[in-house]
Amino acid sequence: MEAVNNVQSKKLRKEKAAVPKGRRWRKFKENSPYLLMILPAVLVVFLFNYLPIYGILIAFQDFMPGDKILSDSTIWVGFQNFERFFTDPMFWPLMQNTFLICIIGFIIGFPLPIIVALMLNALKGKRMAKVIQTIFNAPHFISLVVLVGMLTLFFGRYGLVNNIAASIGGERYSYFLESKAFRPMYILSSNWQDFGWSAIIYIAALSNVDPQQHEAAILDGATRFQRVWSIDLPAIMPMISVMLIMSIGGLMGVGYEKALLMQTDGNLQVSELISTYVYKRGLTGVPDQAYATAIGLFNSIINVVLLIIANTTSKRFSENSLW
Amino acid sequence: MSEVVMKGLKKVYDNKVTAVHDVNLEIKDKEFIVLVGPSGCGKSTTLRMVAGLEEISGGELYIDGKLVNETPPKDRDIAMVFQNYALYPHMTVYDNLAYALKLRKVKKPEIDKKVREVAEILDITQYLKRKPKALSGGQRQRVAIGRAMVRDPKVFLMDEPLSNLDAKLRNQMRAEIIKLRSRINTTFMYVTHDQTEAMTLGDRIVIMKDGYVNQIGTPQEVFNKPVNLFVAGFIGMPVMNFFDNCKVLLENGVYYAEIRGVRFMLDDFQQKALKQNGIETQDIIAGIRPQHVTVGEGELLAKIEVSEMMGSEYNIHARCEGDEVVMLIPTFDLETDVSMGRTVNFTTKPMLIQMFDKETGNNLIWYDAESASKDAPVCKRYDF
Repeated sequence: MEAVNNVQSKKLRKEKAAVPKGRRWRKFKENSPYLLMILPAVLVVFLFNYLPIYGILIAFQDFMPGDKILSDSTIWVGFQNFERFFTDPMFWPLMQNTFLICIIGFIIGFPLPIIVALMLNALKGKRMAKVIQTIFNAPHFISLVVLVGMLTLFFGRYGLVNNIAASIGGERYSYFLESKAFRPMYILSSNWQDFGWSAIIYIAALSNVDPQQHEAAILDGATRFQRVWSIDLPAIMPMISVMLIMSIGGLMGVGYEKALLMQTDGNLQVSELISTYVYKRGLTGVPDQAYATAIGLFNSIINVVLLIIANTTSKRFSENSLW
Repeated sequence: MSEVVMKGLKKVYDNKVTAVHDVNLEIKDKEFIVLVGPSGCGKSTTLRMVAGLEEISGGELYIDGKLVNETPPKDRDIAMVFQNYALYPHMTVYDNLAYALKLRKVKKPEIDKKVREVAEILDITQYLKRKPKALSGGQRQRVAIGRAMVRDPKVFLMDEPLSNLDAKLRNQMRAEIIKLRSRINTTFMYVTHDQTEAMTLGDRIVIMKDGYVNQIGTPQEVFNKPVNLFVAGFIGMPVMNFFDNCKVLLENGVYYAEIRGVRFMLDDFQQKALKQNGIETQDIIAGIRPQHVTVGEGELLAKIEVSEMMGSEYNIHARCEGDEVVMLIPTFDLETDVSMGRTVNFTTKPMLIQMFDKETGNNLIWYDAESASKDAPVCKRYDF
């Protein structure tokens, strides 16, 4: 009896499987022009984002520049490179520096574009809003080298700020040589450069809000602030959630370029980040690429863990998540 | 008392386009007035000026005897139902209904009582915890109406509230609005482009075209006594039949209408009115409603092109010397053969013939020069 049941259920499963397969093929055929259109993008992502993942193998090897990643002579060392990093005297300073610069940058930088977008959207004169938006976007197109050059012009020993201070009897201050000044300069200049650009996505989301909702709220007696709070903010909440998850997921992924450009012997104790350390160990002096890869991989794992935590939390407490 | 009075109300946009010209209208307390007209005629703009959502460029607007031209919308004591419902999507139905009261700092138990009362009337109590996206179009529209109701406004404004619904639901909601009106008993201003809605809902109808008011009257008045070609063509379904190149004749002190060579001696009231208006023999456009055509009698001839059996009546499309004629003929006592290709004779009662001046498009009998907008454009034909 059981055997008969098994056969029947197998048959049923086969029949069930057969229907969706046909449907899936039909759907695939229907969507084939669109799939073809995204193929170049998929190829680029595969070539430049997925294929290099193969390189992380060297984090588990005793690898020297010029070695092949996989060959008979490959020396596998397991987690030795990771252990080296955890016992490296630079481990905690690097973690602390990277974490602090990222978290402070995030706390200031995440809400800023949201506030700017809401304010621009609430402006009555739409032409004025466009002009302001263009002004806010412009710094995004300044290269990092020029930006740091501007910082030097403003905050260098003989820069604008010091010249003003000196002219009113103050003392000249070496902002670039002081570790105290590094983080504020780094974070504020980054946010200044990107808040307008990051606001675009929220402005686009706000443009989808039905104007009749605002009119209904006006008739209900809502003030401008109440309308922003009750209509605009909830309308962009899904976008805020997605951006929040993505920002948390990339929290520890601060780049090395700007930190290196701003780095001096005076501020090294706070300006040495995981990324600058990876760069220095992996590409300068006597390159230790296996060690640098292990540190980079460790950093990426932290980001993935943060991304999963952020997504799960968002899924639990709101209706929005990346997956 | 919640009267709305418009005196020479005007809307001119920044680009110098005038959307509304010189609207003069007195809406009585508890009256249901419908603004109707084709797209772009200025009906919604007029409503939005009453709501305070559009600035008034000229004229005066009084609500309850108070000049409100500069009064902010929230202080006008009006509520509005929008075409797209305009519900707050992230709030539940309960919160949508309660929002205006919360803003007015009404106490929570009172808000709760009011919201549940309105939900009961509109039969949406079971949906109070749902968000708008989980409701059907009809349910959303009820919530939108409920949101206006909770405030007990002096004037209830509705901007094409049924146009997003399918035909069946629209009929259902129309009946609901009629019932609702008898329950809440306040002043209503209702905007629509659908003349059936206008005819069934309104105590009076305001017919607008190109920013001008063409006629204000009860549904019966605008149907039977259209002041010009536009009103005659816009009101009534199927559309009125128009016969170009006709004449009104004055012979020995008696007025006749001549349509396609056939003379109709006009009724007493028409004789009086034409005489009073000083009408002489002149060219006219004659209008006969499809419902007022009698087949199988008279001397007018038409060849039937399409004959649609609708159950209780035939909907006949025929051609009479180049003019298309639509006839609605009841089936119960029809003796004439109305099959396609046949030529039939038809007539109408002279008192039901509408006569429009060929030059101005105005009705020779019902056009009232004193109440009409002075600089309204001439409507020579019913065409939009």
